[in-house]
Amino acid sequence: MYKLKLSIRFISAIEKKYKSMIYLLITIIVLLIGIIIYSEFTKKQKINNQKILIEDSLKHIYDCEHRNTDCTNFSLSGSLSLSKEKTSKIIDLLIEKKLINVIGNKFRLTSEGKNYALQVIRIHRLWEKYLAEKTSVGENEWHTIAEIEEHNTSIEKANKLAAQLGNPFLDPHGDPIPNENGEIIYNETLTLNQVKINSIVKVEHIEDEPKETYKKLFNNGIYIGTILKVKNVLNEKIIIEVNGKELSLSISEADNINVSIVSEVNYENVIPLSSLKIDESAVISFLSNGIRGQQRRRLLDLGIVPNTIITARMKSLNDDPTAYEVRGTLIALRKNQSDLIFVKKNES
Amino acid sequence: MLKTKIDMDKKEEILKLANKYRWELGENLHDSILESIYSDASNITNKVVSKIGEKPKFDWDRLIDKLVTGKLTGFPIMFLLLALVFWLTISGANYPSQFLSWILIDNVHHYLKMFSQFLSFPNWLSGLLIDGAYLATAWVVSVMLPPMAIFFPLFTLLEDFGYLPRVAFNLDFLYKKVGAHGKQALTMSMGFGCNAAGVVATRIIDSPRERLIAIITNNFSLCNGRWPTQILIATIFIGGAVPNYLAGIASSAAVVFIALLGVSFSFIVSLFLSKTLLKGEVSSFSLELPPYRPPRILQTIYTSLIDRTLIVLWRAVVFAAPAGIIIWLVANISINNISLAEYFINWVNPFGLLIGLNGVIILAYVIAIPANEIVIPTILMLTVLTNNITGFGSGAGVMFELDSVQQTEYLLRNSGWSLLTGINLMLFSLLHNPCSTTIFSIYKETKSVKWTLISTFLPIVLGILICFLVASVWNMI
Repeated sequence: MYKLKLSIRFISAIEKKYKSMIYLLITIIVLLIGIIIYSEFTKKQKINNQKILIEDSLKHIYDCEHRNTDCTNFSLSGSLSLSKEKTSKIIDLLIEKKLINVIGNKFRLTSEGKNYALQVIRIHRLWEKYLAEKTSVGENEWHTIAEIEEHNTSIEKANKLAAQLGNPFLDPHGDPIPNENGEIIYNETLTLNQVKINSIVKVEHIEDEPKETYKKLFNNGIYIGTILKVKNVLNEKIIIEVNGKELSLSISEADNINVSIVSEVNYENVIPLSSLKIDESAVISFLSNGIRGQQRRRLLDLGIVPNTIITARMKSLNDDPTAYEVRGTLIALRKNQSDLIFVKKNES
Repeated sequence: MLKTKIDMDKKEEILKLANKYRWELGENLHDSILESIYSDASNITNKVVSKIGEKPKFDWDRLIDKLVTGKLTGFPIMFLLLALVFWLTISGANYPSQFLSWILIDNVHHYLKMFSQFLSFPNWLSGLLIDGAYLATAWVVSVMLPPMAIFFPLFTLLEDFGYLPRVAFNLDFLYKKVGAHGKQALTMSMGFGCNAAGVVATRIIDSPRERLIAIITNNFSLCNGRWPTQILIATIFIGGAVPNYLAGIASSAAVVFIALLGVSFSFIVSLFLSKTLLKGEVSSFSLELPPYRPPRILQTIYTSLIDRTLIVLWRAVVFAAPAGIIIWLVANISINNISLAEYFINWVNPFGLLIGLNGVIILAYVIAIPANEIVIPTILMLTVLTNNITGFGSGAGVMFELDSVQQTEYLLRNSGWSLLTGINLMLFSLLHNPCSTTIFSIYKETKSVKWTLISTFLPIVLGILICFLVASVWNMI
């Protein structure tokens, strides 16, 4: 009798345990499903949409024409990562829509096709500009996001975007943005390889592909508007001075950078603000173009402008942030900001 | 007189010229304009302002700065000052609170009832107006006003003196790690007084993304209205679960633990937000450290009373009166002799038990949304109503509190509350939707329905999940 009672109690205890286990399992499953749905939503849309394919092909062909190279079925299928058969179908569609002409095995854009391509390029570059100026999305994500958004932004929305950004001329890579009427102005610039030793140059354009090179450049503080000095050319390497440091670039990396010659001496022998010791003073030379948008405006409004004397005053408990004295006020900056502000120490 | 007609040719010409200049000037127009404004300004000041000797005042600033941001002295000073503010608030608010409660709840309420009888009001009217609207409002005022009237001026004095920006400077490294602004330390401390005021105080953060993070996570600071709930429940259930000589320590440790849990949640959620929902929002960090100056005491007290205390109190009152009416109604409207409250409680009870609470608590949190202060009175009223316990309270829909902790304990334990109910009520009191005053303030500050909804539902989802997990583990053991 006693044993029976005990075993019943035992079973009910197990049941109780079991029940809560089921509940626990249900929550875990619900959580997992939630995570899966979320990641599906955020996943980059697969490129299978016809509109997207058409627009991407037009962009590719425009790019070929701009570089004076020949576009073929082969290069197009490579750039769209599509099979040859599917690429041929797209080309047929483009011809049918009178967007391109085929001469031999080369493609030429019709004037409608060119307008369409420029419209897509305009939206792409406006988006990149928007992401750079109005959000804190990192530079390695601009291109990817713009690649998606260029296909689902209407012309009216693009015009609004342009107005909001103050009708910009250049995207954050230094590429010109076509205007509403599809007009585009290219600036003649040199690549870094074409510059003589000891010349000081300003970066006008950085090619955003291949991604590895692009990443290396902005990780070393090279943005549009950055000032460099070409120091030496050695064994297929170009040694440059940038932001007070030396950096060596391969020929192909240097080919990705377009520059114009400047003659400002303010950019030589600078050090980052973060390297100032407590109670050391220096004169601000420039703010790197890595500080942009609202962040840049905020710092300028606080009085952190070129030719101002700045003094490091105290460090926080963890050495970050550091408080600097500018024009009689104390302003604390984080290290990732003071790394991008460049100063010159007083020689005296 | 000067009617200028620009003919089309001229317009084209001007636009062309403008475009040409834009190309030449480049993208950094804003930079160059500001640079020239500053250089002009400094040229002018150099000409017209003459400095007499060195400013001795600055040395004082440096000395204080060395003390309050020093590696050894910074943290102790910060903890001491914050502890002092909290101690002054809690101990100082006790007497005025009791006094207000004695006047508004014990006396005025009683006289209002007598007066309504004298005018032979129908029962429902006096219930609706006096037991519902008046009582809820009186309760909110008497519990909320004194601590806020002490806490906010003290806090504002520290701010005015220039100390608070240094706290943000000291703690910034912690907040940087979770993608937030050092000043969130200040809005969080403000939230310990009142979340609605904490949300309004996020105006000091000028970077949009960091400000949103501070607004959404402010609710994880255990506010003034929730401390009494925590202390009462901890005393009854945590203190009751350990030997007598440990009761005091165990229950206060539990309350501190809940408060620290809230702080860690605010960090975790900040990190989560900055990595997901708020990833692309603009961020522009900067932290000004103004010079120290003697606080203007009278002015500070006046402005903090007007700007912070009274505005928040007014918002609370606006919501409390209708909520009081609803509380009274759900307890008094009955269908087939069963009140609406009981219907809802019975319906939601299984879910309540699943997350280690009960139907009464859930209903109380739904209808006492205007202020956390009236949650416990509502729970007590509903408990008496649904369990048909006699000898407590003064009728359906009339909120009350009991004079002694023992009586409250007796009432709750006899209505099926266990240690688990106590623990989960403490957790749920920390992790549930902000009060309506705070929600309204969030909407006013963000002007966005989206962020208001997220700040409302994020904590409640977290609370239900955590309570459910605790209940599941509890039932397994």
